[in-house]
Amino acid sequence: MAEAGRKRSAQRRGISSWLAQERVFRLIPFIMVEGLFLLLLATPFVLTVYISLLKWRANRPFEMAYFHGLGNYARVLSDTDFWWALGRTFYFAAVAVSLELLIGFFLAMLAYRQFRGRRFYITIFLIPMMVVPVVVGYNFSMIYVDSGPLNQILAPFLELFGFNPRIRWLSYPAAAQWAVILSDVWQWTSLTFLIFLSGFTALPQQLTNAARILGASRWQIFWRVHLPLLKPAIVIAVVIRSMEALKLFDQAVLLTFGGPGTATETIAFFLWRQVWQFNKYSFGAAASVVLLVLFSGLIFYGIHLLVRERAIVQEEQPL
Amino acid sequence: MTAQASPGKSRASFARRYRLFPVFRHVMLIFWASIVLFPIFWMVATSFKDSGEWVSWPPHWLPEDPTMLNYRQIFAFTASGFDEKLSREATEQAFSIWSSLRDSAVIASVSSLVSLLLGTFLAYSISRFGVGGKNFRYMILTIRMVPPIVIAIPIVMYYAILVPYATELLFSVRVSMFDTYTGLGLLYMATTLPFVIWMMLSFIDEVPYTLEHAARVMGAGRIYTLRRVVIPLVAPGMVVTFLFIFILNWSEFLLALTLTQPKVSTMPVLLNKFQSAVEGRLYGPQAAIGTVITIPVVILGVLIQKHLITGFSFGTIRK
Repeated sequence: MAEAGRKRSAQRRGISSWLAQERVFRLIPFIMVEGLFLLLLATPFVLTVYISLLKWRANRPFEMAYFHGLGNYARVLSDTDFWWALGRTFYFAAVAVSLELLIGFFLAMLAYRQFRGRRFYITIFLIPMMVVPVVVGYNFSMIYVDSGPLNQILAPFLELFGFNPRIRWLSYPAAAQWAVILSDVWQWTSLTFLIFLSGFTALPQQLTNAARILGASRWQIFWRVHLPLLKPAIVIAVVIRSMEALKLFDQAVLLTFGGPGTATETIAFFLWRQVWQFNKYSFGAAASVVLLVLFSGLIFYGIHLLVRERAIVQEEQPL
Repeated sequence: MTAQASPGKSRASFARRYRLFPVFRHVMLIFWASIVLFPIFWMVATSFKDSGEWVSWPPHWLPEDPTMLNYRQIFAFTASGFDEKLSREATEQAFSIWSSLRDSAVIASVSSLVSLLLGTFLAYSISRFGVGGKNFRYMILTIRMVPPIVIAIPIVMYYAILVPYATELLFSVRVSMFDTYTGLGLLYMATTLPFVIWMMLSFIDEVPYTLEHAARVMGAGRIYTLRRVVIPLVAPGMVVTFLFIFILNWSEFLLALTLTQPKVSTMPVLLNKFQSAVEGRLYGPQAAIGTVITIPVVILGVLIQKHLITGFSFGTIRK
């Protein structure tokens, strides 16, 4: 659009002056982006709602699908595997996010002041965030291999108690679940660390000094001064990480492929398997509609929290 | 800096803690740094090991007989031109990463670039004209928070059913967007646009409006002002945003897995293909692929590390 305005031809100039009008110009990018969303996200979703009302599996052509009413929804809602996968996803997210928050907070607390080697540590701590999640899954699958480094490290202890040190970690449900959780913690603690670090560095020094002059102990300063000031950072970390953790898919595929049994089947993996392995298209469509409805409440609540924190910060800004 | 030097009270325990704290800090930080670096180290080490060392017990910490064979294998040209000498066994599959590398590079860079341009213009409209209403900037985040599987199921039906039908009806050619650059690239644009808009908003909000106003008063056109005043000021921000969403697109797995193959396949999907072959897993070449995917992204990430927080703070942390 911007280039078109520079062309010298009279007709082009007409268009460009029309485009440069205030009311038109401000809406061009809006319409383009909204158009993209409408075409690429809203239309498919309407189609999905339609398909979820049909009885259709991929072994038949689409023309032969017939109307099925709400049957698919009934099947999804009464499918125990669906609910188990959903519950498992929330369990993984809860454990992983709380570990990430604790470790990230602790590390940020240690690293926010100036000291020798600070930049070096920060650089290293932020690396996992940039590693491709699929590679993380692969890396951890290598570490958990029965002749891998984890067993090598544990071998002296295990042999002490008379165990065979070559444990196949990923064939025990609980161990496999922890493997998925720990790989998530390994990768995303870097993000919570980053958020808390910027929160700590932004703490106003005057308030800390004032509290100290007034005779507050270090403990009191931490609980009464620092923690309330860090609340926005904590809210951001919780909201962003929970939203991302509920999408968990990559590591579950690469590390355990949902196994053993269905022990590490997250909701994303469950739906993927229903649609792409069992070809239950209309079931998948209904399940994704149900999932979106369930998640939209969470999403709006998360956004609401972010907006509220932002509003508070903006009010304080002239301080 | 001055926090440890508590004025007034000088207690023996405090003096001891003052001396021990840096040691404690370094111990903790080095401990976490080694946890962070170990999986990456293990992957790089494995990529230089020959087949005998991949799963030997006890595992070799460093390759005892370093070899470049894994890298030579994955960089060998197409399946037909595969060099027999590189094959370890007769049954071993010929493979090459060139086509996946090209697919990944093209899709990630083009879609990142387009969504950067679109998103920057929309961010400008939102920042200056308040397009879309007061809460539009938050609402756009909802798209990012929807689990990708919920997007993937509608999209695959859309690409496989509605688009071919519609194009046949309108232009009497069956066009399938499934398994094409366009199909995946458009979706990457839609999913990264929220991040672009967010990051660019935080940069554009900081450009003082008076500059633009001055340019306008002196008779510059709206597009000219945008091009000569605003864009140069936010150019560093645009570079950071581009690199950030490039990393996101480069490592995206779920959508690539569901919407491509066999013609188009990105690097994460390629890595997964090796992982699913349970029997005779090729740990070495896999590690080499993992290293090749990871290293460039980590280098990019370290470069933009300082600015990353802007994208994640969601405007709630003051600098």
